[in-house]
Amino acid sequence: MSSRKPSPFFTPGPTTYPGSLAMLSLKRDLQMPVVLQTPNPTDPTASVIHTRFGSFPHTTLLNIPWGSQVIASQQSKRDAARGKKRKRGTADAAPDDADDNDSPVFETASSGFVHVLPPTPELWTAGLQHRTQVVYTPDYSFVLQRLRVRPGDVVIEAGAGSGSFTHAAARAVFSGYPGEGAEKRRLGQVFSFEYHEPRCESVRAEIAEHGLEGVVEVNYRDVYEEGFTLGPEAPRADAVFLDLPAPWLALRHLSRTEPSPLNPATTTRICTFSPCIEQVQRTVTTLRELGWTSIVMYELQHRRLDVRRELVSVAYDGLRGVNSNAASVDEALTRLRHLEEKTMEFHGKGKDTDTPAKKEKKGKDAVGRDKQEAIRRRERELQVWKEGRLVHRTEQDIKTHTSYLTFAVLPRAWSKEDEERCRKKWAVKTDTEDSNGDVTMKDDDAEV
Amino acid sequence: MQTHIRSKDQIVLALPSGLLKILEIQPHTNISIGKFGTFSANLLLGRPYHFTYEILDQQDGQSDSQLRVVPPSELNAESLADVVPTPNESRDEKIETDDGCEFEIVGENGEVIMRNNRLTIDDPSRQALTMEEIEELKKASTGSGKEIVAKIMAAHSALEEKTSFSLAKYTLRKTKKYIRRFTVLPLDVGMLSQIMLEKDPWRIMELREETLGLIASWANIHHSGFDGLHPLEGTQGAGRWLVLDDTGGLVVAALAERMGILYPTDTSDDEPTTSDPTTTANSPEPAPRIVHPRTQSATNNTLTLLHSNAQPNISLLKHFGYVFEDPSPTHPLHTHLKTLTWLQLLDPTADQLYREPPTIPDETLATLKSGKRGAYHRKRRRWERVKRVADETAAGDFDGLVMASHMQPAGVLAKLLPLLRRGAPIVVFSPTVEPLTELMDLFSRERKAAFVRGVQGREQGDGAPPFDEADFPVNPTLVLNPMLQTARAREWQVLPHRTHPMMTSKGGAEGFLFTGTRVEPAEGRVEARGKFQKRRKVAAGDVSGAVKEANSALKEADEAIKVSEMVDEGRDTYEDLK
Ligand SMILES: C[S@@+](CC[C@H](N)C(=O)[O-])C[C@H]1O[C@@H](n2cnc3c(N)ncnc32)[C@H](O)[C@@H]1O
Repeated sequence: MSSRKPSPFFTPGPTTYPGSLAMLSLKRDLQMPVVLQTPNPTDPTASVIHTRFGSFPHTTLLNIPWGSQVIASQQSKRDAARGKKRKRGTADAAPDDADDNDSPVFETASSGFVHVLPPTPELWTAGLQHRTQVVYTPDYSFVLQRLRVRPGDVVIEAGAGSGSFTHAAARAVFSGYPGEGAEKRRLGQVFSFEYHEPRCESVRAEIAEHGLEGVVEVNYRDVYEEGFTLGPEAPRADAVFLDLPAPWLALRHLSRTEPSPLNPATTTRICTFSPCIEQVQRTVTTLRELGWTSIVMYELQHRRLDVRRELVSVAYDGLRGVNSNAASVDEALTRLRHLEEKTMEFHGKGKDTDTPAKKEKKGKDAVGRDKQEAIRRRERELQVWKEGRLVHRTEQDIKTHTSYLTFAVLPRAWSKEDEERCRKKWAVKTDTEDSNGDVTMKDDDAEV
Repeated sequence: MQTHIRSKDQIVLALPSGLLKILEIQPHTNISIGKFGTFSANLLLGRPYHFTYEILDQQDGQSDSQLRVVPPSELNAESLADVVPTPNESRDEKIETDDGCEFEIVGENGEVIMRNNRLTIDDPSRQALTMEEIEELKKASTGSGKEIVAKIMAAHSALEEKTSFSLAKYTLRKTKKYIRRFTVLPLDVGMLSQIMLEKDPWRIMELREETLGLIASWANIHHSGFDGLHPLEGTQGAGRWLVLDDTGGLVVAALAERMGILYPTDTSDDEPTTSDPTTTANSPEPAPRIVHPRTQSATNNTLTLLHSNAQPNISLLKHFGYVFEDPSPTHPLHTHLKTLTWLQLLDPTADQLYREPPTIPDETLATLKSGKRGAYHRKRRRWERVKRVADETAAGDFDGLVMASHMQPAGVLAKLLPLLRRGAPIVVFSPTVEPLTELMDLFSRERKAAFVRGVQGREQGDGAPPFDEADFPVNPTLVLNPMLQTARAREWQVLPHRTHPMMTSKGGAEGFLFTGTRVEPAEGRVEARGKFQKRRKVAAGDVSGAVKEANSALKEADEAIKVSEMVDEGRDTYEDLK
């Protein structure tokens, strides 16, 4: 129905394609966003991604199954040609000579690789360029869960900042692209507000680049002053997320008085995200004054755990990443007895040779390839990766505090007329004496 | 989000005591909340959610009570009251969290008992309450609640005046129990998880709401944008997730909610009372004749549930109008939730439902009794469904895997990883950490390296140590970025001058997630790069001793043999520290 390519965030398809955002996973905490391009024939070297894990021409990343491991490339012919020129002593053999007629040929490098992953909000959050503080995966997951954001919902977000929350919210509301015959359903949308012009432009550009136009609308606006209303019928939001320094200044614009930015037919859910407790207190007081209810506040503690094998034994002496202390009383005794014997043996020789390591220390040459190889062989023989005890600990650096999360709801407006209509429709018979089918709740029914 | 309370909705009544009660609302019935009173369900039908009501006293000759909507200004009045700071916070808290025994004010008949000597406050200045608050308090309470407050006020007016403020303050809180209020909430997945966590945590594997949110994110759960029953060209269908669920259906519900396939579209008679374009857009166009699609026949936005019993246990879905044994044909899960057993997936021909029942020619069929004919058609249809679901599941290409099960993760992943498309997320939930540390260990850098060495050794027949399949229950090169994490939300009380984390909360299982991405290793020998090269340079110029250089050289060698995984920064930092 439309030539529109679906966003790689929602429907990546089986393979990478020109124009799609791809995440190059360099390692667990290093994700690199790249928009894949067919190489420019006049300057093929321009479409090469250089990382500290090697170089990757776009051609090696394009039209391959997502999730593939791609080995780094190196330029062969060009370098060779350059080398030749230099040897011949050609004067114009500048190191970055670009108008070489030989088109460069890439060949597989001896080491280095990346994995090409389809983009997700998680990878984007990990790899995006920070223009501001961002909301990370644990927080936005909790926020979107507690706000009950679902496909087809409309969400207001301010400020857009670096667009981290924006992408997660877009995924949560997404229920189809506009103009694709999906009008029967309500289309989910994110209305994002940002008053910092360059940031606003950046987020807008990213949204376009990521195929999210129509799902996310980025508005350049100061929401403290101008609020969120975008016309008589928009945005009609079901949920609101405020990541602003002074959310209480924006709250007054989220009222049900027309023109209201809120969906008149649903309860509005809100979350404000503030690092300081004073901000929370002001926000909560304002929420209470403005008639929001079910106000709760949380902070989220999130930890990642490292898992490793803890190897403790005298037997591991000489290996790396182990603890070669005695693991038991028996081991301690055996080792001490051994040392006793050695001392006796070498007594009088005038040399202190108490540990095997020292004994073998015969200078640089001795610690050569042979020894490394020996240690590696021993490690393999011992199969250290399945020895010892499996332990886990919290990763080295943790975010002990991100922000406080304040949640509240604003029920629908309900007029006297609404109530009248309802009373007529659901009239209560006064003569009802039969209690058949009545639902009873004892309040001592405390086990719920 | 539901726009209003519809008949037969499952709703939640939240009582002041914190009690949450699920009930299905039926027109023309009475709802009775113990001694709070009885009122007609019709007083709630058609009304918005999230209103707080107060049950008014019965009029003479009436069997049930009227309701009054409590406006937010009244609900928030107490919390807005700015009292003098209370230095001794622990005392305050203790009174708040007691369950009524320690601090009973009002007896069954409404008489004041004051069983607790805490009421005689030693330092009343900390418990200031303004006159406005007391007035507000009086206003706030009507009916029997009001009476109680009045009695308490009367009772403590006998005390010194300064004490009366503090007493009133306490009364205000304690009367929450007696003011007959309740709030009507929609029953959604978050609410259900909260209720189940209180009532029956083991049935849902002690899964908390914050963990549900994390699962949905890491599994990249979303609507595919395609609603139709027909697959996109060249795909099995858009938005297909594989699920294992030992939480009674809570996980299925959570994922379905995020995919837009949990809630039936509104077809009930009671339209919203205010006309609203967004809701009318939701209701389906009137069709002349509705032909319901076959059960489990959707191709987009689907969940495929693998189960180890003959029937899946997803009984919690009844709260969302879906009963597996007897699904309503209009419920989205009827078409979008697919179920199959492990046997049907791994050894389908051993399952009799998978075997085609004999066909009966039409002429013969016509001679059969209608009952028999019906049974024949049912059998055929069941076979068609079982075969279709089993075959399409075995064909794989799933967009992700979510596992919340008591089964051992390694064996499950070994069978299911091949069914995931490349780049698909994997999420495994466990209430306790041990099964997941074991899983993480199966993907450790060292084990991965040993695996690749082993495979190469087997292929080339070099003298590598024997390759023991048992050491590699799952191919470690198929998962990228394995990660183990846990999250817990901590609730705070926010009141003027009395802001602090809640003093108590629920313990129990912490709840952990294993996450990773299904990938495919490149063919041939692959070597990592990175620190390796930097080190070489450092080592070359290093004169600080042979041992150090040896170490560095060893590390370098180690890097070189690392075949499938980049340097894990965390691990390296740790090693460097040692
Ligand atoms: C912490 S950042 C938001 C980060 C974002 N949630 C994310 O995940 O990337 C706060 C942003 O709010 C914007 N902002 C502050 N006050 C604003 C206002 N009155 N109207 C619109 N944007 C505002 C700032 O420019 C800033 O970019």
